[in-house]
Amino acid sequence: MTLSPTARPAAPRDGDHGRSRRPRARRAVNTTIGLLILAVMLFPLYWMVNASFLRPQDLVSRTPTWFPIHGTLAGYRNVFASQGGHLLVSLVVSLGAVAVTLLVAAPAAYGMAKLRAPSRRALLFTLLIAQMIPGIVMANSLYIAADDLRLINSPLALILADSTLCVPFATLILQSFLRGVPDELGEAAAIDGASRLRTFVSVILPVSRNAVITAALFSFLFAWADFLFGVTLTTQDDRAPVTVGIYRFIGAHLTDWNSVMATGVVASIPAAVLLVVAQRHVAAGIGSGAVKD
Amino acid sequence: MIRTSPQRRGRSVRPAALALAAASLLALAACGTSAGGGGGTAVDSLTETDYYDAAPQNTELPKVLDECGAQVGVKIVHQQVPRAQFMPKLLQEASSRTLPDLALIDNPDLQQLAATGGLVSLSQAGLSTQGLYPSIVAAGSYQGQTYGIAPGVNGLALFYNKDMFTAAGLTAPTTWDELTADAKALTKGSRYGIAFSAVGTEEGSFQFEPFFWTAGADLKNLASPQAVKALTLWKTLVDEGSASKSVVTWTQADINDQFAAGNVAMMVNGPWQLPTLDAKTGLNFGIVPIPVPSASAKPVTPLGGEVWTVGHSNSAREQKAVAVVKCLLSSDRSLEWSKDAGYIPSNQAAAAQLATSDAQLSAFVAEVGTAQARTTELGTGYPKVSEALWNAIQATLAGGKSPQAALAQAQAQATS
Amino acid sequence: MTVSRKDAPAHDAAGASTGRAPGSRRPRIAPRWSALAFLLPAWVYVLCFYVYPLLTNVRMGFQDYTVSSFYTGAAPYVGLANYRAVLHSSVFWPTVVNTVLFTVGSLVFQFSIGLALALFFRRVFPLGGVLRSLLLVPWLLPLVVSGTVWRWMFDNDSGVLNQVLLHLHLIGQPVPWLVSTNTSLIAVTLVNIWVGIPFNMVILYGGLQAIPEQVFEAAAIDGATGWQRFTRITLPLLRPVTLVVLTLGLIYTLKAFDLIMIVTQGGPAQSSQTLTTYAYDLSFQELTFGRGAAVGNILILVAILFAFVYLRANREQEGRLR
Repeated sequence: MTLSPTARPAAPRDGDHGRSRRPRARRAVNTTIGLLILAVMLFPLYWMVNASFLRPQDLVSRTPTWFPIHGTLAGYRNVFASQGGHLLVSLVVSLGAVAVTLLVAAPAAYGMAKLRAPSRRALLFTLLIAQMIPGIVMANSLYIAADDLRLINSPLALILADSTLCVPFATLILQSFLRGVPDELGEAAAIDGASRLRTFVSVILPVSRNAVITAALFSFLFAWADFLFGVTLTTQDDRAPVTVGIYRFIGAHLTDWNSVMATGVVASIPAAVLLVVAQRHVAAGIGSGAVKD
Repeated sequence: MIRTSPQRRGRSVRPAALALAAASLLALAACGTSAGGGGGTAVDSLTETDYYDAAPQNTELPKVLDECGAQVGVKIVHQQVPRAQFMPKLLQEASSRTLPDLALIDNPDLQQLAATGGLVSLSQAGLSTQGLYPSIVAAGSYQGQTYGIAPGVNGLALFYNKDMFTAAGLTAPTTWDELTADAKALTKGSRYGIAFSAVGTEEGSFQFEPFFWTAGADLKNLASPQAVKALTLWKTLVDEGSASKSVVTWTQADINDQFAAGNVAMMVNGPWQLPTLDAKTGLNFGIVPIPVPSASAKPVTPLGGEVWTVGHSNSAREQKAVAVVKCLLSSDRSLEWSKDAGYIPSNQAAAAQLATSDAQLSAFVAEVGTAQARTTELGTGYPKVSEALWNAIQATLAGGKSPQAALAQAQAQATS
Repeated sequence: MTVSRKDAPAHDAAGASTGRAPGSRRPRIAPRWSALAFLLPAWVYVLCFYVYPLLTNVRMGFQDYTVSSFYTGAAPYVGLANYRAVLHSSVFWPTVVNTVLFTVGSLVFQFSIGLALALFFRRVFPLGGVLRSLLLVPWLLPLVVSGTVWRWMFDNDSGVLNQVLLHLHLIGQPVPWLVSTNTSLIAVTLVNIWVGIPFNMVILYGGLQAIPEQVFEAAAIDGATGWQRFTRITLPLLRPVTLVVLTLGLIYTLKAFDLIMIVTQGGPAQSSQTLTTYAYDLSFQELTFGRGAAVGNILILVAILFAFVYLRANREQEGRLR
């Protein structure tokens, strides 16, 4: 199906469909429904936060406690005391993984989508298959390589390892988007004498800023959530990311569930903040190129 | 026609920024340290690995290691790995020939690791196992040589809530029939009479083995009538409602929580729970040996506990590591460790001493004398059979299968 | 952003048009090979990081790999013995069924609920953006934590899920979620759906955003009903996004490991075991790494199949768009 030539190509819009003429009541109903949906979907989260305030005996009681009236902040105190360093490691490693991922995925996506480079289908195929390699198999190979290179406990090893979780997804998303970018942009730059690299850096990347941000965001989240590589490639506790830190914390505080749940809350906050801040770009980024006129 | 407009020139900074980022990443690589790679002749640090993540063991162990390290003149770099990652980690280290100098391995796993050839034979290195319980020595042996020695052992016994028993006018059970009756009588309202762990991991098999072996069954034949009898006991307890259906998901830590909260009147658990239970105010509990099928039967419990092993590296490191192990196994260290960590000393004399000074441990000490190591019958074949066993237990308790059918299938699986 | 169309050649001419305006050709060094340079970092990356583990796993499937093999390196080749053993095992086929049910169940509900939510959030109302962002939380929580919370919620006796269902009179007896072999797979599928909805929602929402409003308005003017608009316009235009979401969703669901291990450990009695958890079990519980690798390779074969499907669909799209 073709669209009329005067149709605007996809531009980032964030839910505004000119519906301000809807009656207030209708919008209030929508908000209520939205809140209900949120309540149902996030109920486990509410339960988790609730548990993070409960005393140990309330947690195993037969009648669930709905509000932590006799609450305690001990869990949170424990968490901040012990997980600060791990949060920092996770941050450094995740940011590094994003950088590596974009360095690899962005040019590849461009080559696949716009330049129709040879072997592009083979690369796409391999990236899809690569995601199915069992995690533990990757971990074994990475451990041996890291050990040979004396990179155990180094953030670099974790950065490279976590990037293996992100590169296939980032490449897929970016190449899907880039196919939607009009060819004229690249051609115009070429006509002006720009090399392919210059075109890529100066023309294509700025235009695909939203998609790049989306790919970067998801890469950050995948890297942040990794546990297996974190536990494999570190032997010192102070070099481990927060996922490993939580696991150890849980093991050490098996009977201290409110601390456990507090760690869950605390470990999710950075990613949540990032997502809320970047969600504008995410919506725009993924959609803009996926549909072509 | 689109021109690369002037403001776009700013974007050419981007490649430079990327290069800077790459350079700083490489600089980060300089932060990498491999803890204790192969050493020269001067050995100043040894690597150690264990999976003690729970209190109090996770704080006590580093202390003991530091003490022994200081005595031998080395620094011990301690690495704690989550239990599920412990074996994968050891295998990765085996692949790169960097097995830890000291590893605290769960005794059923020792056979497999000794078979690799990567462990130092402690008997050849001159460590003596005199005075230790024979079962624990057997668990640490492979083809006639000792590869692992345990500083402390644990087992299972029946914990019971004294107040609940007194209120119901009952005394602690000694036979299976008494156990079933007491559990039923004590199940009231939201309280269950008994709890045990039937979880789908080695813990489940560990908890079942006292009943299994005391009934006269043996791991080489999971489908024997004695085995069926033991599984029928558990099934009865769950079917009658004396034990919660959730036992198939409860770990030993979970049932400890339930017992401490007063939700169950009896539980099958080990001495490592004593520190947390003792700390709980208002809980008045006692410990007796696990009930036996009939008055004449002798209790046989599985041997729990970890063994110290030394990984091959070079002779200087191995010597130091063996010296550290010797220090860790000395009887006063062993006693101190056991008291702090809730284990029974593997030295028989020390254990007897502890039993007299600490009444709570007397039931455990009595049982350790007749305990059986899990790998005695099967050696390296134990993990597979254990898995078949816990699957059978779960199939019966959660899947509605009859004990005969479940165990028959387990035996087929174990021998496939 | 508008593009002046004066010099643009016919854009959707099928075939080899690279879109370059006639007469502006400049001599270039084999342009297609300089394009390859863009793929080079990715190829190097793939060869360094993925090819070696992949080949190792394939090779291990043909070897009798034990704990000793890790240390000594010795692992005799046994041909197809591992595959035969796995395929003849009494656990394998039930596990395959579990995997299919788990994957299909997860994908169907993740996608449809994600799409419904994406459609709902197209409406503008106060707090819409905030709510939509907050709905991403299930995906963000560390699995070790959300898995544990769900375990509690599923508890037979004290779990809040049973309490709520009983209270609402939707069930007469507590559902034995995790303690019965009949319901454990349903339980893990529920948790997986819950975790996967946000991912689907975000991507589908983005896809919906890209459909220009005029399209719907034109259709409405033509008299199309809401349902017709949905099936004739929305769904077809969403096809590329749907393809990405379903392919990735399939791969991530097949790979789901931590979730199942935390909630049920594949039990009770392996009733919630999937091929991925089974592969791990063979390797790290029974310590038969060759068989574990064999199951892993079977999964890779499944992925290869779906990769072909994806590429095929991708190529169709490419053809249509060029």
